[in-house]
Amino acid sequence: MISTSEYAVKLEKVAKRYADIVAVDYIDLDVKYGEIFGLLGPNGSGKSTTLKMVLGLVKPDSGSVNVLGINADDDPVTVKRHVGYVPESPRLYEFLTGLEYVDFVADIYSVDASEKKMRIEEYLEAFDLEGREGDMISSYSQGMKQKIALISAFLHKPKLLVLDEPLTGLDPKSARIVKDLLRKLASQGVTTIMSTHILEIAQAMCDRIAIMYEGRLLALGNMEELRQKARLPGSDLEEIFLKLTGTEAIREVVEALLK
Amino acid sequence: MNWKNVVRLISVDMKSGRLIRGQKFRRYRERRVFQYLLYGGACVLGLAIGLAVGNLYIGLPDPELKSLFYQSARYLLTSLPTLILLYSLVITMMGQIQRMGVRSSIQLPYWLPITWEEHTLASTLAHLIGLPLASIILFSSAISVFSIFLGELPFATLTVPALLASVFLASATTEIFRVLQVRLIGAIYKTSGRTAVWVRFLGSLLFLIAFYIIWFSLTSGASSIALIETVAGAQNAVWFIPYVWLGMALASFMSGLLVQTVVFSVASILFILVLFYAAVRLNAKFGLYEPPAITVSRGVYVPKAGFLGKLGFSSLEAAVIRKDFKAFTRRRELMYIFVMPIVFILMPLMQYSGMLGKPVAPEASPFLYAWMLLAPGALMAIMLGTMIIGEEGSSVWLFYSSPITAHSLVKCKYAFICILSCIVTLVCGVIGILIAHPSPHLAFALLIESMLLIFALGAVSLRAGIKGADFVEVPRPRMIRPLTALVNFLLCGILMLAILSPLIPYAVTMMNLPVPMPIPKIDLYIAISISVVIAVVITFLFYRIVLKNAEEFLLKAEI
Repeated sequence: MISTSEYAVKLEKVAKRYADIVAVDYIDLDVKYGEIFGLLGPNGSGKSTTLKMVLGLVKPDSGSVNVLGINADDDPVTVKRHVGYVPESPRLYEFLTGLEYVDFVADIYSVDASEKKMRIEEYLEAFDLEGREGDMISSYSQGMKQKIALISAFLHKPKLLVLDEPLTGLDPKSARIVKDLLRKLASQGVTTIMSTHILEIAQAMCDRIAIMYEGRLLALGNMEELRQKARLPGSDLEEIFLKLTGTEAIREVVEALLK
Repeated sequence: MNWKNVVRLISVDMKSGRLIRGQKFRRYRERRVFQYLLYGGACVLGLAIGLAVGNLYIGLPDPELKSLFYQSARYLLTSLPTLILLYSLVITMMGQIQRMGVRSSIQLPYWLPITWEEHTLASTLAHLIGLPLASIILFSSAISVFSIFLGELPFATLTVPALLASVFLASATTEIFRVLQVRLIGAIYKTSGRTAVWVRFLGSLLFLIAFYIIWFSLTSGASSIALIETVAGAQNAVWFIPYVWLGMALASFMSGLLVQTVVFSVASILFILVLFYAAVRLNAKFGLYEPPAITVSRGVYVPKAGFLGKLGFSSLEAAVIRKDFKAFTRRRELMYIFVMPIVFILMPLMQYSGMLGKPVAPEASPFLYAWMLLAPGALMAIMLGTMIIGEEGSSVWLFYSSPITAHSLVKCKYAFICILSCIVTLVCGVIGILIAHPSPHLAFALLIESMLLIFALGAVSLRAGIKGADFVEVPRPRMIRPLTALVNFLLCGILMLAILSPLIPYAVTMMNLPVPMPIPKIDLYIAISISVVIAVVITFLFYRIVLKNAEEFLLKAEI
C-alpha cells in the first residue's frame, strides 16, 4: 500500500561503494510530493547511482531508501508499479518497432487496452513520431529513442518519475513538451526527480536542487537557499555550481589548453 | 600504406577478441604471456607431431611401405594449400556470421586518418587471428620438421608460404563477402518493404542451414577423408580456378616442372592482389553503407486481442512471450536456435538417403525416427533455456525497473521455451513419420519422451540461464557464460539418460541389439510411467530452484 507520508522519496544515511570507489557517501535526502527535484553534479559525482538506488536498481551498502511510503527493499514490485524511469542512455529493444515497444511497456504495467490505445496515439502524435512508429527502433535517431523511453515512462501514469538526463537529444519542441508536461504533472501531485547537466533547465524547472560532488551532498535547497550557501547573491545556477564544486577556474584551464 | 596503422588496427581487433572471452571489464589488464599461448602451444604441438611422424617414417622396416608412405605424404602436402583454404574460408566465414549480430559497429576507422587500404588489410588480417593462425603455425612447424626426415626441405620451404597465402586468400574472400552481404541485405530490405522482416528471417535461416551442412560435411570423419582424396585428385582437373593455383604451384614443384611452378606462383600472387584490391574498392564504396529502416507495420494501431491471456497468462507475461518471439525471429544472432534443429534433421536424412556417402540400412529407421523426435526439441529447450535471460542484453534494465515478479518472469520464460520446443518436436515428428514409418507404439512413446525431455531440460537450462546470464553485447552478445553453458550441457546429458533409461531394456529387446548380459523384459507403458515420474521430479525440483534464482536475480539488480 502507498502511504500518504509527507515525502515521496526519503533517503537516510545511504552509502554505496564500487570496490575502492565511493559512489554515494552517506547522504540524506527528502523529496516532497508534487515536487520537481533536480540532482546536479559533475560526471561521476553519484547522481545516477542515487537515482538507481531510489528505484532499487542498485542496492545501497547501508542506509534506507523509502519511496512513496514504502521501504524499497521490502516491496520493490509495488514501488516499481508506481514509478516511471528513464535511464541515462536507455537501451531499448531495437528489434521492436517504436509502437511495439510502447505497447509492450504498457502491457508490463497492465494498462487497460482502450486507455493504452488512446494514450499511445496521443503521445506518438505529441512527440512527432507518427509515420515512423512502425519502423524498427534500430533505425531511430538518438532523439527518437529518447522520446520512446520518455513515452514509456509516462504511459502508465506513475506517481513518481525518476529521470536521468531526460532531455538529452530531444528537439526544442519535444523538450518544451516534456518540461510543460512535468510542470502539469507536478501540479497534479506527481513527483519528479531528475538529473541534468543543463543548468538553465534545472534553474527554470526545479523547485529544489541538490548538488552532489564525489558522492556527497554539497548543497540542497531552492535557488535562494543555494545562493546563500554559495554566498553569491543574485547569481545564476552555473556560477553557484562552479563555486560549490570548486571547478570555477575555467579561464586558466582554457588558456592552458590553447598553449 | 602506413603499416603502423595496420598493426594498431589489428591489435584493437585482437583486444576485442580477448574481451569477448574475458569476464572483468573494470580495471582490465593485458596478460602478454597468455596472449601468445595459443600460438606457442600450436608451434610446440606441430614440432612434436612432425617429430613423431618423422620417426615413424624412419622406423618403417618394409621399403615398399616406406615408399607408399612417402608418396602419400607428398600427395597430401601438395593438396594442403587448397585444403587449408577451404577450412580457413569456413572458419573466417563462421567468425563473420557471429559478428552479424553486433548491435553497434566500431566506426572509429571511418573518421580517423586511415586509408581504405589500411582498414581492409587490417580487417583481412584480423580474420586470421586465433584459430586460423594457430592452425597454420601447427601445420607449418609439423611440415618443417617432417620434411627433414622426408628429405624434402626445399619443398617444405615453399609449402609454408603457400599455406600463409592460402589463409590470406580465404580471409580476403571473407572480407568481400562481409561488405557484399551488408549491401545485399540493404537492397533486399529496400525492395521487400513490409515483408522485409520475414525475408530477412528466411534468408538468414537458409544461408545458415546451407553453411552448417557444408561445415558438418567437411568435418565429419568419413567425409573429411573423402574431401582430401577429392581435392588431391581433382586439383589438376580444375586448374583454371584461381583458388587451386597455390596447390598447383606446389604440385608442379614436386614434379620438377619449374616453369609451371613459377607461372602458378606468380598467378597466385596476382590473384591475391586482385582479390585484396577488390575488397578495398568494395569497402570504399559500401563500407559506410547504412541499411534502410525496416518498416514492420503501417496504419491504425489495434492492441492485440490476447490469445495468450486465454491460456492463463497475465498481460505482463503475454507481453514478454510476444516480445521474445519477435526477438528470436528478428535478431540474427538468435536465429541459430532454429537452424540447429533443422540441421539436426537434415544431416541424418542426408546420411539416410546416401547423400553423404554410404546410405543407412533400412533397419536403422527406428533410430532415425528416435533421433528426429528426441534431439531437436531437447536441444532447442537446452539452448533456449540458457540464452533466454542473457538475450535481454543491456535492455535488461527494463526488467529490473518494471513491476515484474520472479513468478511471472519464470512462468513466461519457461512457457516460451516449452511452447517453441514442443512445436519443433511436433513438426519433426510428422516429418519422421513420413520418412521412417514407425509403429504407433514407437511414435507414441517417443512423442511422450520428447515432451518429458523438453519440460525437464527446459527447467534445468533456465536455471543455468538465470545463474550464468551475461548481458555484455559488444563486440557481440554473449548471453551466457561459457563455463555455465558447458556444465549445463553435461548435466542435461546425464539427466536425459536418466529420463530415457527405463526405455533402454525395451529398445534393446525390440531391436534385438547384442548385449553382454540378459536384460529383463519390461512393458513399454510401465517403462514410460517410470520415465514420467523421473522427469516430473526433475522438472518440479528445478522449477523450484529457478524460482528462487529468479528472486535473487531481480533483487540483486546491479546495472
